[in-house]
Amino acid sequence: MNVSIVPALKVLRPAALLGAVVLFSLVVGYWANVVFLPGTSPEQPINFSHKVHAGDNEIPCMYCHTQARRSISAGVPSVSKCVGCHAEVATERPQIRKLMNYWDNKEPIPWIKVHDLPDFVHFTHKRHIKAGIECQTCHGPVETMDRIRVTSRALDGSFQLDTPWEMGLCLNCHRQYEVENGTDCWTCHK
Amino acid sequence: MPYIERREFLKLVGAGSVGVGAGFMLRETIKHPQEYLIPHVLAPEDFSTGIATWYNTVCSMCSAGCGISVRTREGRAKKIEGNPSHPVSQGRLCALGQSGLQVLYNPDRLTGPLMQTAKRGSDAFLPITWEEGLSRVSERLDLLRAADRGSRICLLSQGVGGHLAQLFELFMGQLGSERLLHYDFDHPHTLYAANQLFFGEDHLPYYDLKNTRYLLSFGADYLGNWISPVHHSLGFGHSRQGRPDVRGRFVQIEPRMSLSGAAADEWIAARPGTEGILALGLAHHIVAQGHYQGTDRDDWTQALRGYTTTQVAEQTGVPAATITRLADTFAQTNPSLAIGGGGAGNHSNGVDTLVAVNALNYLVDNLGKAGGLLFNPEPAGRVSHPRQASFRTMLELAEDARQGRIEVLIINGTNPVFTMPASAGFAEALAQIPLIVSLSSFMDETTALADVILPSHTYLESWGDDFPEPGIGFPTGAISQPVVSPLYDTRETGEIILGLARRLGLHDAIPWSSMEDCLKDGWREIYERASQETRTESFESFWRAILKAGVWGEKSHREPTFTLAKGVIDNIGVPAPEFSGSPIDYPFVLLPYVSNTLRDGRAANLPWMQELPDPMTSVVYGSWVEMNPTTAKELGLTEGDLVDIESLHGRIRAPVYVFPAIMPDVVAMPIGQGHSEYGRYAKNRGANPIEILSPQMEQHTGGLASSATRVKIVATGQRVKLVKTGGTSRDLGRAIVQTTDATTQSKTGSIHGAKMNSIPITTVTT
Repeated sequence: MNVSIVPALKVLRPAALLGAVVLFSLVVGYWANVVFLPGTSPEQPINFSHKVHAGDNEIPCMYCHTQARRSISAGVPSVSKCVGCHAEVATERPQIRKLMNYWDNKEPIPWIKVHDLPDFVHFTHKRHIKAGIECQTCHGPVETMDRIRVTSRALDGSFQLDTPWEMGLCLNCHRQYEVENGTDCWTCHK
Repeated sequence: MPYIERREFLKLVGAGSVGVGAGFMLRETIKHPQEYLIPHVLAPEDFSTGIATWYNTVCSMCSAGCGISVRTREGRAKKIEGNPSHPVSQGRLCALGQSGLQVLYNPDRLTGPLMQTAKRGSDAFLPITWEEGLSRVSERLDLLRAADRGSRICLLSQGVGGHLAQLFELFMGQLGSERLLHYDFDHPHTLYAANQLFFGEDHLPYYDLKNTRYLLSFGADYLGNWISPVHHSLGFGHSRQGRPDVRGRFVQIEPRMSLSGAAADEWIAARPGTEGILALGLAHHIVAQGHYQGTDRDDWTQALRGYTTTQVAEQTGVPAATITRLADTFAQTNPSLAIGGGGAGNHSNGVDTLVAVNALNYLVDNLGKAGGLLFNPEPAGRVSHPRQASFRTMLELAEDARQGRIEVLIINGTNPVFTMPASAGFAEALAQIPLIVSLSSFMDETTALADVILPSHTYLESWGDDFPEPGIGFPTGAISQPVVSPLYDTRETGEIILGLARRLGLHDAIPWSSMEDCLKDGWREIYERASQETRTESFESFWRAILKAGVWGEKSHREPTFTLAKGVIDNIGVPAPEFSGSPIDYPFVLLPYVSNTLRDGRAANLPWMQELPDPMTSVVYGSWVEMNPTTAKELGLTEGDLVDIESLHGRIRAPVYVFPAIMPDVVAMPIGQGHSEYGRYAKNRGANPIEILSPQMEQHTGGLASSATRVKIVATGQRVKLVKTGGTSRDLGRAIVQTTDATTQSKTGSIHGAKMNSIPITTVTT
């Protein structure tokens, strides 16, 4: 006697359809978040433009990020450093007024971190700067950006916007330049 | 086109929208959280973000005065290490020194001035401003001074040296009071007194453990807590392993094995309080055997005639053969060194004992030479000892307080309510003092009884200086500088005194506006008299160089000559120790020892020190009473049985720890626990053996004879589990430590019983 399970499964068809719709929409929702809220270029408390400073006016990176060549962290300029110029320069612009507000209240500007590495990565700016690596190699063409965006460098040297940093990024470079112990786990994960 | 029902369609639409929302939220939740980059408003001058700044300063956790280097990042202290340039610590540091960070960051620190608003000791403290606090105190001081009753003001401090001690002197002098006392429970009064009697010096000599070949230690736990443990540990290490052809040998004589006893080549248990008699027994043998050939040999023979080997063996319980062997080895090894202190000095005959130890060094010519005992030059600045109050002085202070002769008591950092026996009645005496001011950083037992609390900075936030005692053979000193900005609304101890002085109008005598100025003026004097080699072009560069190096020193040495003063030999002799309580009712001698982790209780509020296992028992977070296995068996006790330890003066409760390395009629307890105040980590944990001590005193110094109390042990029937990291101390057939003697090994060429997988063999050389 032939018994088919198809009639029994038929009953489940609406449920399966429902499941498929949920799964599909889950992916759509996730994708929508990735595309529309990438979080790779957050709005900063002051619309500071690297394009104006580093690009148009050609201020060297390390004029403001003074610690990069000496420390593990590049260092954010102190508010007083901004005021050092802006006490005289472009004082009437609304963004500069905002800056002076922070200064007058002796409050720090709560910049939002864009380029970030997990805490288990021991990265130091000092070594990379000493090795003669340009800031743009990792940070992308900062001098062209009004608002900073996460930028990754592909193997061929081209920049990929909004691509978060991952270990491959470090390894590509370390391999390419044959860095001593450059692929040793403990070089970065201490 | 398949047919979909309306209801079905709505279901799908609903599910779809829920799905989209869920997907969106899913991504949102796994997103990297937003982080901020908070810049400085003004760029700091003294550090760069991400780069550690090291400050050299001085450790204040005990009186040794080790130089430390504190690693700071972004203005916060992160790690404390020994300062490699400092001759006392030479880059090393003990666990207590390392845990100084937990003093700084302790959650129970006093964060601002407080005033008692209800009955004393009721914990009804309310915050006040510094202005209020200081004027409240200075008004009272001013009244007393105006009425010519300044002598009724007392300043009771922890042991401090350098220019803070100087400032205290000046301040109290201006108030017209002689009552300036330093009080530390473990201050070695007997050691100072013995050296004064024998060498005629009021400061400690340098004990050259580093270059010695044979060390006899009479009760001094030089690796654990005796005067300068970090420096002694360095010396010990060098003596043992630092010389290719010599291995220093160490003998420890004490009734309960300490850390130094465990590290020694030989541990000898003499009856408590008879260590000095044993030392004279050795001296007798040395003289009798002709090892000593000085001109005063006859005087020595005369003085030591009551200390023949048989007599001494009987009194001390040490076999005659051991006595003669120790004496011969001590006399024939060159250089050798005898030291004494700790439990041996805390008996009624403490000074005599330590004089006897000095005599040993004299008889084998260990004085003034490397590997022996070197004399220190005068300390380059003020040290704490001349102001240190003995137990007798503290009793007098308590009596004066009871008689109403003390009207203001200023307490700085010391905690006598905890470190004085209950029988001294110190807390009750405090009740008679109209105004008690505490400058402590923590709410300890004494501070809890204060009316006004003006909390000091911790040492990592303060200026100060230190001239190490014992010195290291040449003049040296170090400046203590703040390594972080103050965390709370506290002030430097010096600044509080300066603030009071300012309010009292003492500008002429005490002109400084800050402790830093006071220090600079003091060090300018040192600069002026400094030798050519340490001078720099200006005082400013001298000052900066010391701050940078963390230490200053000169090369000059003392002449190594020494002549024994007349009459010393005639007075040599160690009377039998006296104990309180009859041996029948109170069969055990209680040996309270300064804990290697908590010291005299000052470190009980540091979790790192609480959780650091005691080196001998591996117990953490609690008190215990150590007892010989035979004794425990007789009393029917095992580890963890709660017992009452009862003296003539009180009773405390602690669990038993069965400890093979203690004499059967001695029980030992670590000091440090049993706090009723002093923060969350210290409070209500263990018991304080000081509490039940009899007010027995050392005859010469009036120091507390803390090892002279007899106790009885009463089982309570209750049990607790001792928290400890160690397992069993026995081998249990696991062949963990195999030994063989050198002769067997050389004869047979192999080691009996050793197998392929045996753990490396320890060879015992005899």
